[in-house]
Amino acid sequence: MKIEVLEMSDRFAKFVLSDASIAFANGLRRAMLAEVPTLAITEVNLYNNTSVLYDEQLGLRLSLIPIKANTDELVPKEECMCDDNCPACEVSMTLSAEGPKMVYSGDFVSSDPEIFPSDENIPIVELKDGQQLFLEALAHVGHGKNHSRWQAGIACGYKTYPVVTFHNCDKCRSCIEACPKDIIQMGPSGAEIQDNDMLECTLCRSCADVCGINAITVDQDERAFIFNVESDGSYSAEELIQQASKALKKKSDGMLEVLEHF
Amino acid sequence: MGYKCTRCKRAVEIDYEYTGIRCPYCGHRILVKDRPTSIKRIKAE
Repeated sequence: MKIEVLEMSDRFAKFVLSDASIAFANGLRRAMLAEVPTLAITEVNLYNNTSVLYDEQLGLRLSLIPIKANTDELVPKEECMCDDNCPACEVSMTLSAEGPKMVYSGDFVSSDPEIFPSDENIPIVELKDGQQLFLEALAHVGHGKNHSRWQAGIACGYKTYPVVTFHNCDKCRSCIEACPKDIIQMGPSGAEIQDNDMLECTLCRSCADVCGINAITVDQDERAFIFNVESDGSYSAEELIQQASKALKKKSDGMLEVLEHF
Repeated sequence: MGYKCTRCKRAVEIDYEYTGIRCPYCGHRILVKDRPTSIKRIKAE
């Protein structure tokens, strides 16, 4: 298995996974969406809310705010040994605001300075003159498979690697005009696609359809995949891929253990 | 349960034996229920 990183920023990653099966690629994609442990607000203690939003509507908005935290130091509530809640499984964040002002996610004050909303500018509610909002939000660790608030990977997908070959091209240029991505160029021996441009091909087959002499073959490498990964901010894109790989490894180890004791 | 008149802002007790709802001080007919002072815990979902 080979991985070639094409682009890596804080929230976005693009890489080519090659020499791997489609089942593994899909497993990695699903792990990024559903198996990465993330912290999110699950309960809210409301002291006062005179804003225009209902308490429940406010709770829904709060639950969807991505929170940056080191989840290795926290235990999921269902695995914690405590009776109700404890610092090992629960994080408290308070919010107090009085209008007129726009309340943002950055107004939260966390009990742990290492845990805070990943974006400070997520609007929660606009308070008019005299309106108040006092609350304590309780956050727990969970997984995306249980609720979308714990989904750290928000746009994770892949496509198979395109393979477009040209044979005996007559240089009619019709494929160059037909390509919607504008990636086909005329080379010395006929039409061609540069290696870097091949990633942009969507396998639409427009070039093959317009070719009058059937000189173009559009195929895909079913052992290579171009991944696009986007994080919601609770993890960096790199950490998200690492956490998803760890989740897959943990599941495989569990399977191995079961088989060894069978 | 306490109510408040939206016009004169005074606290009002509703007399359920009386067929209508009306502020006994100013006669206004729109009353709002005060938010309880207790802490309310909700599930955020």
